[in-house]
Amino acid sequence: MKQFNKLYFQLALLAAVFILLAILINNLTINLSRAGLEFSFSWLYRPASFALAEHPLPYSPSDSYAWALFMGWLNSLKVIIVSLFLATCIGVFMGLARTSNNTILNFTSAIYITIIRQTPLLLQLMFWYFVAFLGLRDNTFTPLKGILSISNQGIELLGLNLSSEFSALLFGLSVFAGAYIAEVVRGGILSVSTGQWEAFRSLGLPESSGLYKIIIPQALPAIIPGLTSQYLNLAKNSTLAIAVGYSDIYAVNDTVINQTGRAVESFIILLVSFLILNLIITNGMEIINRMTLNTNKYQ
Amino acid sequence: MDHIAVRTKKLSKSYTQGLYALDDISIQVDHGKVLVVMGPSGSGKSTLIRTFNGLEPFDEGEVNVLGIQIDSTYDERKIRKIRKRVGMVFQQFNLFPHLSILENITLAPIQVQKRRPIEAEEHAMHLLSQMGIATHSSKYPSQLSGGEQQRVAIARALALKPELLLFDEPTSALDPERVNEVLDVMRRLAKQGMTMVVVTHEVAFAKEVADQVLFMDAGKVIETSTPDLFFSNAQHERSRRFLNQIEKK
Amino acid sequence: MPNKIIKSGLKLLENNIRDLFSNLLSLILRLCIISAIGLTFFYIFQWLAITANWKVVSSNVPLFAFGSFPSDQRWRPSLWIISLLFLSIFTLIGPNRKWLRRILPFAWISTIPIGIYLLSGGLGLLPVASRDWGGLSLTILLTGCSFLLSLPLGILLALGRQSKLLVIKHLSSLYIDSMRAVPLIAVLFFGQLLIPLFLPLGVEVDRVWRAVLAFTLFVSAYISEDIRGGLQAIPNTQIEAAETLGLNQFQITFFVLIPQALRIALPALANQAIGLFQNTSLMAILGLVELLGVGRSLLANPEFIGRYIEVYIWLASVYWLFCTFMAILARHIEQRMAIDKPNLVP
Ligand SMILES: Nc1ncnc2c1ncn2[C@@H]1O[C@H](COP(=O)(O)OP(=O)(O)OP(=O)(O)O)[C@@H](O)[C@H]1O
Ligand SMILES: [Mg+2]
Repeated sequence: MKQFNKLYFQLALLAAVFILLAILINNLTINLSRAGLEFSFSWLYRPASFALAEHPLPYSPSDSYAWALFMGWLNSLKVIIVSLFLATCIGVFMGLARTSNNTILNFTSAIYITIIRQTPLLLQLMFWYFVAFLGLRDNTFTPLKGILSISNQGIELLGLNLSSEFSALLFGLSVFAGAYIAEVVRGGILSVSTGQWEAFRSLGLPESSGLYKIIIPQALPAIIPGLTSQYLNLAKNSTLAIAVGYSDIYAVNDTVINQTGRAVESFIILLVSFLILNLIITNGMEIINRMTLNTNKYQ
Repeated sequence: MDHIAVRTKKLSKSYTQGLYALDDISIQVDHGKVLVVMGPSGSGKSTLIRTFNGLEPFDEGEVNVLGIQIDSTYDERKIRKIRKRVGMVFQQFNLFPHLSILENITLAPIQVQKRRPIEAEEHAMHLLSQMGIATHSSKYPSQLSGGEQQRVAIARALALKPELLLFDEPTSALDPERVNEVLDVMRRLAKQGMTMVVVTHEVAFAKEVADQVLFMDAGKVIETSTPDLFFSNAQHERSRRFLNQIEKK
Repeated sequence: MPNKIIKSGLKLLENNIRDLFSNLLSLILRLCIISAIGLTFFYIFQWLAITANWKVVSSNVPLFAFGSFPSDQRWRPSLWIISLLFLSIFTLIGPNRKWLRRILPFAWISTIPIGIYLLSGGLGLLPVASRDWGGLSLTILLTGCSFLLSLPLGILLALGRQSKLLVIKHLSSLYIDSMRAVPLIAVLFFGQLLIPLFLPLGVEVDRVWRAVLAFTLFVSAYISEDIRGGLQAIPNTQIEAAETLGLNQFQITFFVLIPQALRIALPALANQAIGLFQNTSLMAILGLVELLGVGRSLLANPEFIGRYIEVYIWLASVYWLFCTFMAILARHIEQRMAIDKPNLVP
């Protein structure tokens, strides 16, 4: 009797959800057809007729919307991957600094973490773009002649040209994610029992090699899940590119919607693009996770 | 039939294939009597008394508690009926850490028996003062000692005015000096004629209070007898070995 | 033999010199770092006190606080913000009476409808359209409303995901996982552009409430995972004890599981609230003039052109102050609750 009730209850719930969805979709089709925008993806093949400041592959305004969106997706991928590396470096360094006995390092890292974590990323991005890069005006800052030069045109590193939009986004995202990664690293290191520190010290191992050979390998299993979720956050946060004028997938989508009015279709494309990005990151991390677990046979 | 509080017939249960936690158990406890269950660790004592209030489903046989019959089909309605009339006290107290002592005791009377809050609180205070811990009523479980917590747990079980009380090693998690605080309460309950099934290794308590002692090993009932007989002249070699072991401690 | 003594003596000397040398080196290094930090602080201070032109902030404080709220009605948002401040101070250092502590959560919850009433008016107050709401008061309103709505939704989703009923379980999981996979700005964009498309003709929802709806949909997915973590941390024996007392499924959930899960999840929930407070700034690029939006519109004003650093530093300080304050408040509440339960398994 009870089982039947549960079954009927679930069926009713399922039906309710479907009915709700049906009503919403019905409203949508009515609204769209009133605006003369029947749901379809055929417009994707029409020429985009807008320029993109950055495109990893050849692109011109006469190329299709689909190609423009793909360029946006590649731009996203580019900034995400580079930020992942930079953020990891910053985060690991700051996380280690936060757990070190050195007062100066510890203090600097604490200040960095609180400033970055308690202010909005969007504000930080604007700061990087409008103050750190565009604020340079016509001054060019060349700390290493011929190798690195920074100006309001962006960064030139060994002939590699990074636009100021890309650089601002890169630094903004990396510094922001770095603070969160630092906390993950710190948490991981603190999760290793103090007995392990005492053990390698009593064996006469120096601090640094004890840290790298004993503590970090044991902290990794605790760090990697946190790292994965920070990487996913970084990927999601990269969509704030629109605030600094970098043509990532979201920004290109926005332009497309403004031109075509195809909000629903573009939104679906955006979601699918993100699904793919997420899958890439989680699978990549899964591989890394397996590799570290393999080297950590002690468990 | 009326004088029987608990009766099991050919009760069997296995967690893993072929290994019986309960193996063909048929026992009976009369109203107003105290049954003490003993046996080595892993012998199935907990599993047995947890079948009495439906915490543990079983595979074969039947259990009759206070005239309500349950079998291997897990009938939630019957089990809830049983639970309203049977109280249980756990080894780890299992008080609700986010509720005060008073709230721990009145939660079920107010929510399950729909008693008026004021009346439930009065009853709870009465029980607490019987346990000698009325002054702690507004504290939280973590602020009490183990012995005090276990007495709260007994009060919580008594607040529903149960006809049968189940105890699963109520004193094993306590410091030795605290054990008697709890045993005294249980002795008093026994004197008042409460029907109880107690899993315990306290020999002195069993000798004094039990009407019947049941010895289990590997899911089987090895022997049932009166405490006098069991402790002075156990029938089975396995029981004697076990008694030797706990006397050594 | 003497050779050996000399050798070991030399070795000792060498070690000492090396020690001395490395000590000296680290001392110099330390001095360098300290003077670099000192110099940085000096320049920052010099810039803040002398170079910077704070007029863009000082002459626009009401704008930062209230947006374009009618100036003769500004006492309303002021009253609201001040009462919030008092309530927080009371929570932090108020007397520890039991009945006072009991009504505190309800006082906090009631600040939200009171805030909405004070901002929107009606019932004796002059109505103010939501397009005139702005600045800090809008930021707080967005945060408060969204969080208050997300909490029950998050609890329901967490329970749904743990449910034995497969349909409920999978629907909840699908919702939570897909919401957590998409960027917030996409959800907010959905709220602003697409929600109107899903509504029947003639039904309109205001911009601010569409934003609140989008934030709620987003945040509840994250909250539900935090609460699920709390639920999973409750030992099974708690459920057994409750079942033994004859409580039914609903009573166990409501009286035993949810209160404990909320307590365990409290630090994570506080982080969500802080994150939400920061993320309301995204509405600045989606057409609401909240705190960051005020800054953006001021920077577009020719009078203040180029005053980026001043505006950003000011905004960063305000956000930092509020977020830090929220963190302190959360830690305080957490500690107060910890008196009730230092350990789950006694
Ligand atoms: N949830 C479970 N899953 C699998 N096996 C279990 C489970 N619970 C108990 N068992 C097994 O069932 C047998 C009986 O367990 P039970 O807890 O009833 O023993 P016990 O007599 O109460 O022991 P103790 O004195 O240690 O409490 C043991 O062999 C135990 O390993
Ligand atoms: Mg047991």
